[in-house]
Amino acid sequence: MTHTVAILILASVAACAQTATNPLAGDPQAAAGGGAAFRPYCTPCHGLHGEGGRGPDLTRGVYSVGDKDSDLYRTIANGVPGTEMSGFAGDLREEDIWRVVAFIRSIARHDAAGIPGDGAKGAKLFWGKGGCGACHIVNGRGGYMGPELSRIGPQRSLQYLRESVLEPSKDVTPGSATITVIRRDGTKLAGVERGFDNFSAQLMDVAGNYYSFLKSDVTSATREDRSLMPDNYGRLFTSEEIDDLLAYLVSLRGAEAAR
Amino acid sequence: MKTLAILSMVMLAAFAATAVTDQQLRDAQADAATWLTYGKNYQGWRYSPLNEINTATVSRLAPRWIYQTGAGGKDETTPLVFGGMMYITGPSNNADALDLLTGKQIWHYRKDPPATLNLCCGQPNRGFAALGHRLFKVNIEATLVALDSHTGTVLWERQIADFKKGFTATGAPLVVKNKVLVGIAGAEFGTRGFVDAYDATTGERAWRFYTVATKGEPGGDTWAGDSWQRGGGSTWITGTYDPDLNLVYWGTGNPGPGMDGDVRAGDNLYTCSLVAIDADTGKLKWYFQFTPHDTHDWDAVADPVLIDLTVKGQKVKAVVQADRNGYFYALDRTTGKFLLAAPYTKINWATGIGADGRPLALPGMDPSEAGTKVCPGLGGGHNWSATAYSLDTKLFYFGTADGCEVYYRTKQAYREGQWYQASTDSAIPSEPQTGAVLAVDPTTGETRWRYDMLTADSAGMLATGGGLIFTGDTHGYLVALDARAGKPLWHFQTGGTIIAPPITYTLNGKQQIAIAAGSSIITFALSN
Repeated sequence: MTHTVAILILASVAACAQTATNPLAGDPQAAAGGGAAFRPYCTPCHGLHGEGGRGPDLTRGVYSVGDKDSDLYRTIANGVPGTEMSGFAGDLREEDIWRVVAFIRSIARHDAAGIPGDGAKGAKLFWGKGGCGACHIVNGRGGYMGPELSRIGPQRSLQYLRESVLEPSKDVTPGSATITVIRRDGTKLAGVERGFDNFSAQLMDVAGNYYSFLKSDVTSATREDRSLMPDNYGRLFTSEEIDDLLAYLVSLRGAEAAR
Repeated sequence: MKTLAILSMVMLAAFAATAVTDQQLRDAQADAATWLTYGKNYQGWRYSPLNEINTATVSRLAPRWIYQTGAGGKDETTPLVFGGMMYITGPSNNADALDLLTGKQIWHYRKDPPATLNLCCGQPNRGFAALGHRLFKVNIEATLVALDSHTGTVLWERQIADFKKGFTATGAPLVVKNKVLVGIAGAEFGTRGFVDAYDATTGERAWRFYTVATKGEPGGDTWAGDSWQRGGGSTWITGTYDPDLNLVYWGTGNPGPGMDGDVRAGDNLYTCSLVAIDADTGKLKWYFQFTPHDTHDWDAVADPVLIDLTVKGQKVKAVVQADRNGYFYALDRTTGKFLLAAPYTKINWATGIGADGRPLALPGMDPSEAGTKVCPGLGGGHNWSATAYSLDTKLFYFGTADGCEVYYRTKQAYREGQWYQASTDSAIPSEPQTGAVLAVDPTTGETRWRYDMLTADSAGMLATGGGLIFTGDTHGYLVALDARAGKPLWHFQTGGTIIAPPITYTLNGKQQIAIAAGSSIITFALSN
C-alpha cells in the first residue's frame, strides 16, 4: 500500500533516540543487519559500500553532523534540514536505525589518507586562478550561483569532488540545474534554477540577478540537468593543482571548524 | 395557521435536504447540485453535467473562500456536499462540517490517534460516506465511526481490526443499501486484508470478505505453506457498486512481504486483483488478478470504474481500471472476463498481456540484493488517485508517473505488528520520474492525449459537462484542461500540495469547484 507521496516522519520514533551510545554496539549481528537496511535507503547517495557520492563518504569516519552514535541516529531518523539528507524514521524502526549506525561504524577507516595536494595552495587557486569564489560561498565569502561549499569536506567523497571539478554536469545537485528562457523578443537568458514548475520558472544569472517568468509569457522555458560551471578545469589546472584544490575542498568543515 | 403550515413545510424541506437516502445514492448522477459519495456516483465516474464553468468561461474562475483546517498534514479528502454543508475529513482523525456559503466551520470532530501506530504512509483520510443523518469515516487506528451530520456527535464507533498488528484505515467508506463498506490497510506489516460491511444503524458487522484465500478455499493453493496468514491484500481505496447486478467492485493491494516473493510461491490470490462481491452476503462472485505473484508493490486499488462499453463490436457492461503495473484494463463486470489491456506508461517487466489477461512477464525482474531496475516504479504508473469518465467525450482520465526505480530485496523474518516488506525501492537520481494526465479511450485502451507534468499526478480527476478536466499538481496548482485536447486552459496556485481530487456542485444555482490543497479547502466560482 506504499504510496510515496505521503510518507510522514514519525517524530515519536525519532524521539526515542535518547541514548548517547548505540545499545546494539555489542551485537555482532547489528552491523550485518544495518547493512541490509543501508542498501535500499542509503546507497543511492552514499554508495553501495558507503564510499560516498552525492552524499558524504561514510568510510572516512568523520561526520559533519557530529561523531557520537546519537548524532548519527538523529541524522538518520530526522535528516538534516536544508540539505538533501531526508529523515528515515518513517521507514526504519528504532532498532533498525541503530543497526545502520553499527554498520556505518563498521565501514569507517578513521584516516584521512588518500587526499593528495596542499590545501593552502588550493585555497589560493580557489579564490584566484580558478575563480571558484565568483559562484561558490565559503564561510560567508563568495558568489551565489553555485552550491555553498563551507562544509563540503565531510559532505562529499573525494572522488565525487574530483568529478564535480572536472565534470560538473555529471551529477548536478538537486535545485542547481540550468534554466534557459527564451523571451518573446528572441533574447535568451540562462541561469541557475531557483524554481521550476508546470507554469513558471525562476532563475539567477551569473551577475546574481533574480528572474521569475510565467511560461505563458515566454517562447520557452526549459530545465536541463547540466551545470553552468565551466567544464575546462581539467585544462586550466595541472593535475597537481587539481589535487591542491581538492585538498582545500576536503578541508572545508564550516566556519566554526575553520576558526 | 397558514404561516405555521408554511413554516412546517420549510422545515420539512430543510430536513429532507440534510438527509441522504438510498435512492438518492442510486440516483446521484442525476443530482448535479450535490456530491453524495466518494466517486460522485456508484459507478465512480466523477463526472458532473454542470457546464456553467466551461472552456469559454473558465478564464473567469476565481476563489470564493478558503478554509484552513488547522489540523496540519495534507488533506486527501473527497468532500461531500449536501444540505447547504460541505463535509471534509483530514489526517490524524480530524473532520469538519463547513457552511457551503461562507466556508465557516459548523462543527469539528477530532479523536487523538494512539501514541504508537505502525504506519506505512502517514495518517491520511480520504473522506466521508453518508446515509440518512449519519456520516461515516474511518479512523487511522482501524475503526469505523458514525457521526450525526448535524452536530458531529459520535453515534457509534467499531474496531475494524487491531492496529497493534499493523492494521490501519484511510479510505472513504461506501454506503450500499443499509450497509457501510470499508477497506483496510496494513500489508506492509504482514496482515491479511479484507473488505467489511457494517450495519449503518447499529454498527454491527454484517460480513467480511478476506482478500487472501486460506487453505481449503478456492485460491488457497496459490500460497506456499502458511504464507497466506501474512498475505497482505490491503483494500485502502473505495470500491464501486452496480445496483442492477448487486455487486461491489473493490481493488486489492500487494501481497506480503512486498519484495520477497520466495516465501510465498504461487499467484497469491486475491492480491493485486479486482474482486466482485455480492453486496448482501460478501461472497465472491468473481475475481481478476492483474499482477500474479507481485513483487513490486503494484496494488490494484485504483478506482474500478463502471462503464457500459462497445468493445470489438459487442456491447458489454464493463469495469475499467488504470492499474499500477502500467496497463489499462477493461473487464466484463458481470463475469470478470478479460476484455482488453493496453500499456499507458513505460514498461520493462512484461512484453504485454496475454489473451487470458495474464501478463507476459519477463524473467529477472524481481527485486534483488544488488538492485533491479524496473519500470514503472513502486508507485506505479497510476497509483490511487481518483479517475474520471466523461459522458461527453467518452474518455477515461487518470494521472500517471512515468519512469523507473531500483527494487532491492532482503530476507526478513516476520514479527507481529512489525514492518514486513523485505526491503524497498529507490529512485534513480539521473532519471527523475515525470508525470502526466492521460485521456484513454476505454473501448480500445488507446491514449488519445497526454498532458505532461514535471511530477507524477497525485491529485485525481474531475470531468465536467463544460468540456473540462480539473486536476492538480504537487506544486500546488489547480488546473483546468480541455477534455478533448488536453490543453491547459486555467490554473491557480493554491499554496499547498494537491493530493486530493476536485469536486463540483452548485450553490444557489451557481456552479462551484472545491479542492483540498495542503491543509486547506478552497472553493471556486465564476467571477461576475
